[in-house]
Amino acid sequence: MEKEKEEKRYKSGLLRSLWPYKFNLERYTYTLHRITGVILILYLIAHVFEIYHIALGPVAWQQTMALLSSLGIWEKIGLWIIAGSALYHGANGLRLILNEAFGMLLGKPVLPEYPYTPTSLSRNQKIAIYTIVVIVVALWIWAGIYLLWGLGII
Amino acid sequence: MKVRIRRFDGQKEWWQDYEVDAKPSDTVLDILNRIREKHDHTLAFRQSCQMGSCGSCGMVINGLPALACQTRISELKTESIRLEPLYNYKVIKDLVVDLTDFVNKHRSVKPWMIRKNPQELEEAPMEFKVTPDQNLTFVQFDYCIMCGLCLAACPTVAIDPLFLGPQALAQAYRYIADPRDEGFEERIEILDDSHGVWRCHFAGACSYVCPKGVDPAKAIQYLKKEVLKYRLLHKKKVSVKPAELIQKPPPANAPKPPPFDFKIEGGE
Amino acid sequence: METLDYDVAIVGTGLAGLRTAIEVLRRDKGRLGLRVAVISKLYLMRSHSVSAEGGTSAVLYPEEGDSFELMAWDTIKGSDFLADQDAVWRFVHLATQEIRLIERWGVPWNRRDDGRIEQRWFGGLSFPRATYAQDKTGFFEMRALYDTLLKYENWDRFDENFVTSIVIENNEFKGFTAIDLKTGNFRYFRAKAGVIATGGAGQLYRITSMAASSTGDGYGLAYNAGLPLKDMEFVQFHPTGLVPRGILITEAARGEGAYLINKDGERFMKKYAPSKMELAPRDIVSRAIMKEIMEGRGIYDDNSGLYHVWLDMRHLGKEKIEERLPFIREIGLKYLGIDIVDQPLPIRPTVHYNMGGIHVDIDGKVLNANGSPVKGLWAAGEAACVSIHGSNRLGSNGTNECLVYGYIVGNDVYNYIEKERPALPNPSQNILLAEEDRIFGKILGKESGGEDVYQIKDELKDTMEKYVHVYRTGSDLEKAVIKIKELKERYKYIKLSDKSRIFNYNLEHALELGFMLDIAEVIARGALLRTESRGAHARLDYPNRDDANWLKHTIALKGAEGPLFSYIPVKITMWKPVARVY
Repeated sequence: MEKEKEEKRYKSGLLRSLWPYKFNLERYTYTLHRITGVILILYLIAHVFEIYHIALGPVAWQQTMALLSSLGIWEKIGLWIIAGSALYHGANGLRLILNEAFGMLLGKPVLPEYPYTPTSLSRNQKIAIYTIVVIVVALWIWAGIYLLWGLGII
Repeated sequence: MKVRIRRFDGQKEWWQDYEVDAKPSDTVLDILNRIREKHDHTLAFRQSCQMGSCGSCGMVINGLPALACQTRISELKTESIRLEPLYNYKVIKDLVVDLTDFVNKHRSVKPWMIRKNPQELEEAPMEFKVTPDQNLTFVQFDYCIMCGLCLAACPTVAIDPLFLGPQALAQAYRYIADPRDEGFEERIEILDDSHGVWRCHFAGACSYVCPKGVDPAKAIQYLKKEVLKYRLLHKKKVSVKPAELIQKPPPANAPKPPPFDFKIEGGE
Repeated sequence: METLDYDVAIVGTGLAGLRTAIEVLRRDKGRLGLRVAVISKLYLMRSHSVSAEGGTSAVLYPEEGDSFELMAWDTIKGSDFLADQDAVWRFVHLATQEIRLIERWGVPWNRRDDGRIEQRWFGGLSFPRATYAQDKTGFFEMRALYDTLLKYENWDRFDENFVTSIVIENNEFKGFTAIDLKTGNFRYFRAKAGVIATGGAGQLYRITSMAASSTGDGYGLAYNAGLPLKDMEFVQFHPTGLVPRGILITEAARGEGAYLINKDGERFMKKYAPSKMELAPRDIVSRAIMKEIMEGRGIYDDNSGLYHVWLDMRHLGKEKIEERLPFIREIGLKYLGIDIVDQPLPIRPTVHYNMGGIHVDIDGKVLNANGSPVKGLWAAGEAACVSIHGSNRLGSNGTNECLVYGYIVGNDVYNYIEKERPALPNPSQNILLAEEDRIFGKILGKESGGEDVYQIKDELKDTMEKYVHVYRTGSDLEKAVIKIKELKERYKYIKLSDKSRIFNYNLEHALELGFMLDIAEVIARGALLRTESRGAHARLDYPNRDDANWLKHTIALKGAEGPLFSYIPVKITMWKPVARVY
């Protein structure tokens, strides 16, 4: 019933909502925040399932470790993606806490002046986003180098 | 100028192309009127004031929701225009969408002035005392013309049909921030809800497309702060009082009309 | 055909319509269980009242020099002594309470530093008494009224229902017939009391500040039902309309100190109104601008082929413009790319308001051809003519008329229903079936004929713009009358291309065109018969005001071959007419 009602609305639905084409920078950060959130939830479930094998005894644990090692380079790449997701989701989450619970970086209510650039999307907000992006990308690259060093490539 | 419009007649949908001549200073609404009058009488779209203050002509122009009467061809910087009805609404015909849900969501947040003593809203011997600075705390959010573009841009509205939407939440904040209003407790149940304020994750697209600069994203984040303050710290707002009635005789050099030629019945 | 039963049915949801609905519901408080139907051909917040910009005047500071006599004198002198003076006297007293009441409901009036409401100068006033809210006054008032109306329970909204006729039998109001645009159904609203508040008819002209929906439906409805229209030839031309679209540039720009400049760079208003200059009433300024253009001192605009003069606001400074005229700056940037802080705006007179309307008495009751009230029908706002504005309306007097008359009519309707307890009316079915057949059989279903609705509308607009403009002559008006008769003949043969029932704008435009043609004929003929110049009606062949012969209101009734005219006297109770100089 709910799905029927949604289908009748024009260009609605989950996939459409994640497509930020032509919109503003904050909508891109929203999409990335959602995608990294999903990756982290899946990782959490997989991690708990993996660690659970310790309770089943040393043999089960050895088997799990061997399974993971057999993935080879894909394990490292998977870990790298999860590391990036955690870094981005955490940093953006901090920015969102500042915005929503403390009302910072949003600008005061003012009389709208033409052309209407909204203060919640203006200079302070953009500085915060770009700072986050720079820090996250730097740390991610460092994580990548660390993993490659662990592989013995560099 | 090539124009591509998404048509719908109740049963089937299709894209239709038109070819019109246009000057760079024309707006998209001028082109639509020209198409309707000269090429195709069956095209349906809403319009009223043609100057950006009524909000009837909202539609998606080249991928972004905008008001057709305010968008000039020269701004679009393209040779072809693609027009679609607003996203996230049910389409009735061509570019006309159904705004019933939009209106109902707005009404559910109680967007009217609430005072503890309702008699104060019925008779008004004097006005409330509101300084210009206090005026600024809420007047930006009062500019909303109810065009519906923010709900078309919001990703959360696309996923969750029960979400109140940026327009209703911004109007709730407009009344909560108004120094004359005393109705925060009455509205908080509807706002502090999983389909209320907490569903918004600050994508900011609503502020980006708003044609009057209302900035609903800012209103919603401030609203979240107010709700948290109320729930965690139990802080209440102080509202203003009415001004005093000043009874003074007029100054001697006041302008005067000519004396009456006749006697007034039951005069002043 | 659906029949819907209500106690009160209100057609038109601008300031007057919403204020009437609120007043009826407020007085009732659920006691009688009155149910109100609010009917509009647009969505509720899209009415043209949202475009009102300048201000609403009222006497708020009698201790600083303002007084009710002064406001009444300004209004009556501004109307060129054609206003009914008892109605004006009552009106100025009620305006004060309205401003304060809607402030309680949330209108963010501009304030002084100590918190009280601020007021400013406006055209034709002798004291700054125009209350304003950042140059979007009508919009904020509409927001407050709409939000307050949402508070009440016993009303239903009928958006996008186009009212096609008033059902009147034996001098009694019996309901409205309407088309639901969403489904194409024919509806009959059976109501005990009806209020018409549909606004003006600016779309008759090519260059107008009015919305595409202001086609004078209220006037057409009353005219077709056999009710008289009053003073229709007085059409107000607002002096400052943007070239070439006619978008309104508010009078508040002149109130804050803007200058009107012609080709030679001089402030030409000193020749026409030496003491008030740009703040003279609107008809004097419009005539001044047209005279300058006719005598060759206007500037030619290549894009549109129109002559204009400049409105100069550069000397006001950026801060004052940002604080008090932000919407004007936006309009200049949006449509012409001109920033008023650095450049002047090109402006020209544009059609803005109809002083005339449905003939009502001082309480808002609609009067029939004999002068006695129709049982159960009222009109308020621009659609009605109590004649507070006479032959010219002062700026900032339109919005407060809507609010005051919303209050008066709402109270009158409630008193009528409470005292007389009328029953739901029962019209004869023939009338309703004939109306349904007229629309769906004769207009929608017609297969013969070849005329195009939009072609006739274009020609009507050009005719009115050319022949019935600010300055009129006898020969021009006769040409207009002949052309309108020809268009009415052609209207009988129109054929619609859109035959669907859902959202058939073609059908709506065809019905609107029918109303527009009737009103255009009333205006042109009334202007032809009035051989004097008074207020907004200026004739080059009769340039003076003629109080001996023409101090009377024009009444127009529908006849077999066109409108029939008669005249009624003006109520003079306070001041006799004097020469009108500013």
